[in-house]
Amino acid sequence: MSNTKNLFRPSEYFKPASVAEAIKLLTQYGEKGWLLAGGTGLLVEKDPQVEVLIDITGLGLDYIKFDGHQGVRIGATTTFADIVASPILQKGPYNVLVQAACQMGTPQIRNVATIGGNICHAVPSADSAPALLVLGATLRIACSTGERQMDIADFFLDVRKDALDRCELLTEIQLPPLPTRTGTAFAKKGRVATSDLAVVNAAVRVTLTAGNTCQDARIALGAVAPVPLRAREAEAMLEGEEPREELLEKVGARAAEEIKPISDVRGSAEYRKTLSCVLVERVLKEAVARALA
Amino acid sequence: MINITLNVNDNEYEVEVAPYHTLCDVLRNKLEFTEVKNSCDSGECGACTVLVDGKPVTSCLMLAVQADGRKIITIRGLSTDGELHPLQEKFIEYGAVQCGYCTPGMLLAAKALLDENPRPSEEEVRMAISGNICRCTGYQQIVEAIMATAAEQ
Repeated sequence: MSNTKNLFRPSEYFKPASVAEAIKLLTQYGEKGWLLAGGTGLLVEKDPQVEVLIDITGLGLDYIKFDGHQGVRIGATTTFADIVASPILQKGPYNVLVQAACQMGTPQIRNVATIGGNICHAVPSADSAPALLVLGATLRIACSTGERQMDIADFFLDVRKDALDRCELLTEIQLPPLPTRTGTAFAKKGRVATSDLAVVNAAVRVTLTAGNTCQDARIALGAVAPVPLRAREAEAMLEGEEPREELLEKVGARAAEEIKPISDVRGSAEYRKTLSCVLVERVLKEAVARALA
Repeated sequence: MINITLNVNDNEYEVEVAPYHTLCDVLRNKLEFTEVKNSCDSGECGACTVLVDGKPVTSCLMLAVQADGRKIITIRGLSTDGELHPLQEKFIEYGAVQCGYCTPGMLLAAKALLDENPRPSEEEVRMAISGNICRCTGYQQIVEAIMATAAEQ
């Protein structure tokens, strides 16, 4: 039966009990099979191409675990609300993910939306993305032949296009352990205080050496290019330098030159450039203060 | 079609749904809980908010199949045996209701907040209702009513 009215009308719903079963269904249904986790992204878009729903919330992939060696492991269907409330993530520099999560959507959406869904949707303004980029997240991906891993920096390919193959399932996000004297910060500017997509969002991470110079600084920006991205030239300006105010100002300006924003309903390209410069400087100051604390 | 069971306001309902029916659709149109409003149909306004296992959710963005076996509270379930919930009393007292369209969702978001955090700050109250848009009141009376309810608990 063809969908001549272009309505969202999936005809089948499955809730597999294992990752293997989920992969089998994805393989079986190909282009027709769509993964359903929280569903908030799926239902906002109501794509008429969705024919088969594969619900992955029964796979036990909602967890947040920590150990000293591996760092943090977050299951792909962990909700934003659980991330915000997590004592593991609230402490220390992983907190940048909490800062990002609590500004995503609304309380109602956060109760349901998952971090895996957020990044797999690969919208340029995904709030979790800049935080995950600066934390150096590794993604665990299940496929029919087993499992592979991928650096989050390689995951976003284009607007709404991620590096997952059709028959693959993101199962876990790993955040490596962080050195001491590492500070992080996140900022998001929307048109209104809550519940809006970002006009610009930004995250940074800075580690300070014993001599108070920057080491391994990371700056990530979203909603300013087809994908969330790292401002690598801006990052390089910080390496080995003391984070003085004048330098942070220049770094913000450099970051704003590395982005390719568009003008859309939420803001003009020029506004996004100005905003990026300001937000990067602001979050750098915050991150440095936290690294020193 | 799929058979699901919804526990709504402490009663069980067996209902047959299509994979694409939202919880809002099913509550309003199949089970006649028309107190659940559909305003934006895109999870932005919060008018369709219900509690699912105690947590506020925009029912327009949840498929009915996702709610199978879960405990749902609509605004009808907030009062018990004809007695208004203290939040409802305070909303009336403080003039926090004008057209009333946001009110069911607003009250349920407030209830979920106070169940988890009985002594919220004003900022926490505003955050908790940040997913519920009110076109009439400007939120001030709503915030005051929620704070007053918390103060008396």
